[in-house]
Amino acid sequence: MVWGLRDIVLREGGPRMVIFAGKGGLGKTTSSAALAYAAALAKKKVLCFSTDPQASLSDIFERNIFGKGEVEVAPNLYVVEIDADAKVGAYIEEVKQRIKDMYKLEEIPPEIEAYIDSSVAEPAMYESATYDAMADYLARGDYDLYVFDMPPFGHGIRMLTMADVLTSWVEKLTEVREKAREYDEIASKLKGERLVKEDEILNELKQIRDKLTTFTDFMRERTKSAFFMVMTPEMMSVHDTERALEAFKSIGLSLAGIVLNKVLPRDFHSSPSPYISYRYRQQESVMRVIEEKFGDLVVAAIPMFPREPKGLDGLREVAKHLVDGVTKLW
Amino acid sequence: MSKGRFISSLRKALTEVSYGAALHGQVSAVLKTRMYIEHMFILMILGDMLGFPILPPYYSLRLLPYAVPNVKAWKHRFYRERDFTDVIYG
Repeated sequence: MVWGLRDIVLREGGPRMVIFAGKGGLGKTTSSAALAYAAALAKKKVLCFSTDPQASLSDIFERNIFGKGEVEVAPNLYVVEIDADAKVGAYIEEVKQRIKDMYKLEEIPPEIEAYIDSSVAEPAMYESATYDAMADYLARGDYDLYVFDMPPFGHGIRMLTMADVLTSWVEKLTEVREKAREYDEIASKLKGERLVKEDEILNELKQIRDKLTTFTDFMRERTKSAFFMVMTPEMMSVHDTERALEAFKSIGLSLAGIVLNKVLPRDFHSSPSPYISYRYRQQESVMRVIEEKFGDLVVAAIPMFPREPKGLDGLREVAKHLVDGVTKLW
Repeated sequence: MSKGRFISSLRKALTEVSYGAALHGQVSAVLKTRMYIEHMFILMILGDMLGFPILPPYYSLRLLPYAVPNVKAWKHRFYRERDFTDVIYG
């Protein structure tokens, strides 16, 4: 039985993309950061990217990295905490400028400008911008390992399914565009002219499609990617993980493993505090349910630390349990 | 006018006449179909401009600059009242 993420992720020929999913506040960001740090120590060039709008990589690494692009926090370890608002703002300005440049306009036609401005209010724009940044980093392929900290569960799944939906939409658009191109060619031939104009829309679509398919290819290929769920030994988390497993299955993804976080240490059993010993007994009963329901899917356990793990020292401590499997369960 | 230029003008005129007589109708039909396809394409990327919900507009916006010159005609055609003559003449 595999115990610890080293044999799954850091082995020779291991996955190049790792995704941590799960409810908010359970330790996705900490797990992502700890794995990324362990991989960097193992001489891999790593990008740890937080897609969570309430991400806390800045807190964990004790540095303000929000919206600053790729920041090297340790040798080989780069982290990104995306500022989706700023990215959407810059993107909108770029689109407007492009229209002005293409048609030599001083002002954008009011109805077009109103449309562009109203699209900023669309909540999915921010998810799309984050998703686009993820796909962009992956397509550039500058890193040996990409660790993505997904937004809390529902959004995370939506973000993953978005890749498929967008790919089929872009394919439909390409089809229509190719049809239009065929008609251009027929008209040119009938007129006895040569069609020299290239369809720039087709080129744009091709670029978008290439970017999206890099991501979906990684996602679908089990040897290229690994999905982990982070959960805690509480019944609410058990139910949520069951639902997540179903959702993963429904979109054709299989889980590489479950990381059990915030596990109370064994010596809590004999604690003189009734509060602590009661919590421990409750955890024991949930552990039995976890073993029965998920069994071998659990691949690592991280104990509840006396203080929040922060900074590289804190992450090294987390990595001992997450990556090297120091805490054994059953 | 020199003889060479006269022949050249005559050839051009004959080409245009034969194009107009034989092919102009076909080219117009092809371009009309091309326009319908263009409008369908704009509908797929900018449908929400007319109230049709579409996917998140992030990638549509990347294509929007190319559609700008055709947006007006597209909206005009979409909003235009239709009657039975449309069935006959398309």
